[in-house]
Amino acid sequence: MAQRHILFTINRPPVGSVYFAEGLRATVGATAGTDEHTVDVLYLGDGVYFTLKGVDRTDTAKYIETLTAAGRKLKVEQESLDERGISKDALAGDIEVISRAAALKLIANADFTAAF
Amino acid sequence: MANLYLIDRPFAESALGLLKQDADAEVVLIQDGVYLGNGASLGKAKRVYAVKRDVERRGLGQFVGSSVKLIDYPELVDILFANKVLNFA
Repeated sequence: MAQRHILFTINRPPVGSVYFAEGLRATVGATAGTDEHTVDVLYLGDGVYFTLKGVDRTDTAKYIETLTAAGRKLKVEQESLDERGISKDALAGDIEVISRAAALKLIANADFTAAF
Repeated sequence: MANLYLIDRPFAESALGLLKQDADAEVVLIQDGVYLGNGASLGKAKRVYAVKRDVERRGLGQFVGSSVKLIDYPELVDILFANKVLNFA
């Protein structure tokens, strides 16, 4: 398999399940290996709660560090934040807020997507 | 190849938000997502499918709109492989 661009969407909130951490682990995994796939990570729905600045990153810090070193920034959908009354100043500093229209562009640019 | 939204109930809200703006969308309703076949606004979706078994087990046959095509699992697999899947299930 040749190199692909994969969009990872994370819909589940942090804490209480493994999905939020496994999603990032899978994302890092996709960038490794001989194919070195390129990736984007997008938080949607209740998944956006991961992007709050107070969230415990014990299980995810190393994955985020790896993605950051590769120049990838975690993205969160503005509309999902708005629907939950979350303002940008409540978010961790390494999160990029994008519009729903921009989210659809990420989808369009992806060869395929994976959801957690 | 369309963007195929595979929708179950818990994550439907996120899917519906994107669907409002996606002109290249098709939808498959699965598991409790089939309740959305009872009149929920599915944005600009060009086609809407619902898993027949999930509709029948919930007794929803008469509530699912006539524009929703009921599909079995072999058809679902064909549809999944023919499109770019966005999983909300």
